[in-house]
Amino acid sequence: MKLKLIRIISSLLITALLGSVGLSQTEITLARFLGDCEQAGTNIQEAVGEACIIQSIINNFSEQDNGITVNTLPTDWGNYYDQIKAMYAGGNAPEVHMIHKSRLPEFASIGVITDLTEDLAEIGVDVSDWTDSAIEAITYNDRIYAVPMDSHANLWHVNLDLLAQAGLVNDDGTPILPSSPEEMLEQAKLVREATGKDYLAADFSQFPIGVRLVLSLVWQQNGEVFTADKATVNTPEVRLAVETITNLFDAGYADPNLNYADSQQAFLDGEAAVLINGTWVVDFYDAQAKDPNVALTNYYVSDFPTLFDTPATWADSHMWAIPSNLKRDDPEKYQAALKLLAWINDNNLDWARTGHMSVRRSVLASEAYNNLPHRSEYANTTNIVRDVLPTVKYGAIQDVLNRELQAIWLTGKSIDDALTDAENAVQDLLR
Amino acid sequence: MQSQSTQSNRSSHFSSQSWRQNLWLKNRDSFEGYLFIAPFLFVYIIFLIYPFFKGIWISLHEWNLLAVAFNPDAKEFIGLQNYRDMLWGRGMTWGLDNLLGWRLLGLAMLAPIWWSVQRGALRSKAAIWLSLSIVLLFGVILGIHPGDDGRWYDRRFWSIVWNTLAFVLLTVPLVTSIGLGLAIALNRQSPIMALFRTIFFLSQVLSVTVVTLIWQMIFSPSQGIISNLLQVFGLEPITWITNERLAMPAIVIATVWWSMGFAMVVFLAGLQEIPTERYEAARLDGAGPWSLLRHITLPGIRRTTTLVVILQIILHFQVFGQSHLITRGGPNDSTQVLVRYIYQTAFRDSELGYASGLAVLLFVIMLIFSVIQLRLNREEGV
Repeated sequence: MKLKLIRIISSLLITALLGSVGLSQTEITLARFLGDCEQAGTNIQEAVGEACIIQSIINNFSEQDNGITVNTLPTDWGNYYDQIKAMYAGGNAPEVHMIHKSRLPEFASIGVITDLTEDLAEIGVDVSDWTDSAIEAITYNDRIYAVPMDSHANLWHVNLDLLAQAGLVNDDGTPILPSSPEEMLEQAKLVREATGKDYLAADFSQFPIGVRLVLSLVWQQNGEVFTADKATVNTPEVRLAVETITNLFDAGYADPNLNYADSQQAFLDGEAAVLINGTWVVDFYDAQAKDPNVALTNYYVSDFPTLFDTPATWADSHMWAIPSNLKRDDPEKYQAALKLLAWINDNNLDWARTGHMSVRRSVLASEAYNNLPHRSEYANTTNIVRDVLPTVKYGAIQDVLNRELQAIWLTGKSIDDALTDAENAVQDLLR
Repeated sequence: MQSQSTQSNRSSHFSSQSWRQNLWLKNRDSFEGYLFIAPFLFVYIIFLIYPFFKGIWISLHEWNLLAVAFNPDAKEFIGLQNYRDMLWGRGMTWGLDNLLGWRLLGLAMLAPIWWSVQRGALRSKAAIWLSLSIVLLFGVILGIHPGDDGRWYDRRFWSIVWNTLAFVLLTVPLVTSIGLGLAIALNRQSPIMALFRTIFFLSQVLSVTVVTLIWQMIFSPSQGIISNLLQVFGLEPITWITNERLAMPAIVIATVWWSMGFAMVVFLAGLQEIPTERYEAARLDGAGPWSLLRHITLPGIRRTTTLVVILQIILHFQVFGQSHLITRGGPNDSTQVLVRYIYQTAFRDSELGYASGLAVLLFVIMLIFSVIQLRLNREEGV
C-alpha cells in the first residue's frame, strides 16, 4: 500500500518535472556593452544606432518560436571586461558574450572560451563567407574562438560647412584633408581664421581615443609601440606622432580637456571642423545632421588621412564568444547559444547600418550595403586598418598609454618623461 | 558548637553543590550566549574572517583570476614575493636628502608632542612610543629610495599610497569640522531646523554612482553649473577633472558633500547628550560662545568625535567610486587611489595575488591610523 503510494507520487513528480521541461524555454544569458535601448522591440529594420540595432536583433531571436529566451545583462561599457572576468571567476559566465579581437588572446589562451571550429558548419554558418581579416581576428593558435560581427576603425568625421568657409573643400564636394603634419597645422590655422572654431576635436581625456590616434600616426611611420617582448614606446616615431597632436593643442586649434561626450557635443554643435571617432557613430551623426535643431548639417565621413608614409588607422573587431564549460555541462544551452550566434551573423547587414564595416563577403558585395549613407566616403578604410600585436595584456597596455599621453597634454609632463615611463611600464607588462 | 560544625559542614557541602550547579548554570549561560551570537558569528566568520585569511593566502601566490577559476592548479606559491614587488625596488639606497621637506615636517611633529607632555596632556610613555615611531618613519624609512640606476619594482605604488593618504587627510578633517559646524548650527528645536537637517542629510542617502554623476555635471567645463556661473562674470571655465592640481580637490569636494550628512547626524546625537544645565551654569559664570564651544561642547562630544573620525578614516581609505567614476584615476595618476589600483590589478590585469597583497597592505595602513587615533584620544581622556 505504502509502496504503491510512493510509486504514484514519484510518477506524478516525474511527469510534472518532464512536463515543465517540455513547456519551458531554454533560457540563455547574454552579455554585451554598447549601451541600453529600452524600446528596441523586435523590428530590426527600423532600429537606429548601435544599442537599438543589436538589441532588436537579440529581441527578435528571443521572440521567435524557437524555444529559446535570451536574457540580456546590463550593457555599460566602462567596466565591461572586469564584469565578464569576475563572472568567469565566479563560475557564472553568461552563455553568450561580446568580445573584441584585441581581447581574444587573453580569454582564448587560458581556454575559457569555446573552440567553435568544428561546430560552425552544423548551425549553417559559412566560414568561407567571412573576410580574411575577420577570420584572422577570431583565430587563436589556428582555432576559431568566436563569431565576428564587424570591423571598426577610427574615422575623420567632417563638418563640410566649416571646412568650406576655410576654402578646404574640393569642387566635387569632398574635403581637402592634410597629407603631412605641417599641412594639418596650416589647415587648422585656416579654419581658425575663417570660422574661429577648433580644427579638431576628440576624446583626449577619457577613453583611449587619443591613444588610437597616436598609434595610427606611429603605424603611418612604420613604427610600433611594442614587439613580441620589447616595448618600443620611447622612439622617434612615437615622439613625432605625439608632437603632431600637441602642436595642435599648443596653437589652440584643439582642446585636450574634452571627454567623449563633450567632444561629440562640440562637433554636433559646429564648434569643431573634424571629430576623430569610430565607425560606430556614422548613422547617429547622419541622423543628427538631418535634425534642424543640430548645428552640424553638412556631414561627411573620411578615411583617416595619411600624414606620413603608409596609410594606417586603428581598428578592432566586435565578436561573440561562448564559455568553454557550456558545451560540456549543458549541451542544450550550447546549441541555443550557437543558434543565436548564427542569427546575429545572418543579420550582419543591419549591424553594418551603424557605420561598422561588415565581415561577410556577401554583404560587402551587396548593393544594400554599398548604398548605406556615407559608405562610399570611407570605403578605403577597410584596406588601411591596423592594431597592436595580439597580447594578453592589451587592457593594461592601453591604460598605460592613455595615462601617459594624457599626462602630456593635460598636465604638461614632458614628452621624454612620459614616453620613458610608458616604455618601462609596458616592458614590465610584457615581461 | 556541634551544630555549628554541622552547619559549616553542610554549608560547605551545600556550597560545593551550588558551585557545581553554578558551573552548570554558567555553562548553560555561556552556551545560551553562544547560541545567541551564533548567527552573527556564522556570518562574521564566513564573510569576514575566512575571506580575510583567504586574501592573505592568495597574496602569497602568483594567482591569475581567469586561469585559476578555469583550473584550480594554475596558481603558484611564491612566498612574500608580491610584497617585495610592492614595497621594494632594485638598487635601493638611503639618502639624507630624500623627501627632505616632508621628513623635516614629520620630525617637526615631535615639538607639539613634547609640548603636550610638558602641559601634562600626554603621558610620557605614550610620547616616547610616538616619538620613536616618528623618528623611525621620517628619520629613517623615508630616506630609503632607489639609487641612480635603481627603481622601485612597482613605480606607481608609493605615489598611489600618497594619493590615498592625501585624500584621507583632506577629507576626514573637512567632513568632521563641517559636520560638527552644521550640527551645532542646526541643534535647535524648530521646524525650519528640522527641514535643514533633512536637506543636509539627503546627500548621504544617494549611492556613489548618483553622487559622481551629479558632480560630473557640476564640474563639466562645457555644461557645468560652475563654468556657467563663471561665464556670467566673463571668466574662463575651470577644467576641474582634467587639471592635475584640481582633480583631487574635485573628488574631495564631492566626497565632503556626500558624507558630511552622516557626521552631522552623529554629532547631533552627541550634542543632545550634553546636559543643558552645564551651558546655563557656564553662561552664569560669564562664558561667551567661544568658551562654551571650547570648554563645554567639544569635551562633551569627545567620544562622538573619535567615533566620527575613525569611521571616516576607515571609510575614506577605501575610496573608489569617486576616483573611478569622476576622474578615472587621472590625470597623470593624480587621483589614482589604492582600492582602484587593487581593482584594476585584480580584474583588468587578472593578477589576484598581487591585488590581495595590496589589499592586505591597505588593511595594515587603516589599522595603524585607527590605532593612533584611538590611542591619542584615550590619552587625552586621562
